[in-house]
Amino acid sequence: MKRARAIAARELASYFRTPAGWVIVALYLFLGGLFFMLWTLVPGKPASMRDLFMLSGWLLLPVAPAITMRLIADEIRAGTMEGLLTSPVGAAAIVAGKFMGACAFLTIMSLPTLVYVGVLFAHASPMPDLGPILAGYLCLALLAGLYLSIGVAASCMTSNATLAFMLTFFAILGLLLAPGLMGSRLLPAWGTGVIEAVAPMPRIGDFARGVIALSNVVYFLSITGIFLLAAVSIVEWRRWR
Amino acid sequence: MPAANAQRGGRPDRGLSDTLHEHMIEVDSVHKAFGRIRAVRGVSFDLAPGKVTGLLGPNGAGKSTTIRMIAGSVPPDRGGIRVFGHDTIDQGEESRRRLGYLPESAPLYPEMTPLEYLHFRGRLYGMDTKGRRAAAAAVLERCHLNEVARRRIGTLSKGTKQRVGLAGALLHNPPALILDEPTNGLDPTQIHEARRFIRELGLGRIVLISSHILTEIERMCDRVLVMAGGELKADATPRDLAARSIAGATYVVQIRRDKPGDDERALRLLRNLPFVQDLQPNTADRSTLISGWSVWVVTAKDGAPDLRESIAQGCMQQGLLVRELRKETASLEKAFLKLVEGTEETPAVAAQTIKAREESTL
Repeated sequence: MKRARAIAARELASYFRTPAGWVIVALYLFLGGLFFMLWTLVPGKPASMRDLFMLSGWLLLPVAPAITMRLIADEIRAGTMEGLLTSPVGAAAIVAGKFMGACAFLTIMSLPTLVYVGVLFAHASPMPDLGPILAGYLCLALLAGLYLSIGVAASCMTSNATLAFMLTFFAILGLLLAPGLMGSRLLPAWGTGVIEAVAPMPRIGDFARGVIALSNVVYFLSITGIFLLAAVSIVEWRRWR
Repeated sequence: MPAANAQRGGRPDRGLSDTLHEHMIEVDSVHKAFGRIRAVRGVSFDLAPGKVTGLLGPNGAGKSTTIRMIAGSVPPDRGGIRVFGHDTIDQGEESRRRLGYLPESAPLYPEMTPLEYLHFRGRLYGMDTKGRRAAAAAVLERCHLNEVARRRIGTLSKGTKQRVGLAGALLHNPPALILDEPTNGLDPTQIHEARRFIRELGLGRIVLISSHILTEIERMCDRVLVMAGGELKADATPRDLAARSIAGATYVVQIRRDKPGDDERALRLLRNLPFVQDLQPNTADRSTLISGWSVWVVTAKDGAPDLRESIAQGCMQQGLLVRELRKETASLEKAFLKLVEGTEETPAVAAQTIKAREESTL
């Protein structure tokens, strides 16, 4: 775990030392601010961040791949992966460190969004309900974890950061759009079942309403775990092929 | 990987005690292929502490693949490698902990400073804060990096980056150092300094250096392993290896040819000298043909005395003017060229294949 933390700390610091890291922060805060202005800060509407959290699936769509695209792809391209693979660090620690670094960066990026909560509490009447806001932030954290895990797995597959971005972007887009296929004649019955099981959007709705269902938490953690395990396998495969 | 491990053949007990094995690196009949290209073919050798060993070979001889297998970033298909008694596959973390590895071209993180990089490496090797600080200060001093310790690595020269990489490999004070082309990118002064430094490192440690530069190996190493075509062609000291390049002593004589018949007289004289086994005109030196000098290469029989006196005396008696008479010394270069002559070049493709695989995309 110490080694994973070392990798996470290096990764986190590198985000803030490269222009790309600041561009991602700017993009995230711009989109977040835009969504808040357009869907939450509307006169006459109840003081709730529900719509903002409902849109978080789309808000993170370009942001998560941008955060993860370099994680391992750049290490492979620059040759520094060899330094990691020949140090006494296992594949699991490498992947965990990269994932933790990305999560920490997204968490720090998200801190300014607390201003939105402050604005609501300062100006809304009646006061907003804190429960759905906390549930919404929990949802944001779980969803971000899921997206970032997809990105980490994609970044292990290639030395090309742009390709890693595209893979992650379209994988997430697929998850978001999949519910639209439900009921289609093209989709077999079992396909509907699969989409119901893996699509995050309906679960995000539950969180946004302030409902924290254990099944939804388990869903996010499980899918995140599956992608991280896939990433570990890919790194192991790289070491031993 | 278990699959690769299962195929490994065990080396028979060579009578060495377990304690001795725990102080050595043993490479045992390793094979590595990339697709149809056989990059390393049945290479075996042991490395003991206190010696600097050079892994010499032309580009693509299989040196880097061998080094990567020892360092643990590439698994052997067959055979096995033990680092201080730890198998590089079954006990990979233990074996890697005991190695300091500097890959070719020393890949580093450009946004970090050398000091931060060393602390990062220290954390990967499980060193505590106090230990990291002390070790980082020591290696920065040793590698003359104090002045640039807080500058971004991306802004440093290639030679300085190479020294940062070396400092990283030394940080945890490993009992074995594996350096792939360690003087790449260094200027002549730095090369001189690096050689002295590497020789110092060899005291009490295992040091394995890969290089295709002969002088590098000749000046730094106590032992040379020559690889070509994926195979180990020789394992000897640089002096022994060089001595193999010439069976009998060779003399080069440059004689004036201003009168007709001078060449014939020189030929007759040199051929009839005692202990001469072979005589060849050196036609490679075209300049002497134009300027009226002929060059002869005289090879003496094994056990012959020094022929320089009898060659000089004979020429004087025949009225032949000698401009140069020298005894050829044994050379590592010649020995190397003899060993690698006619070997296949396929591993060069293998090296590219490894690189391509590392950068492989979907």
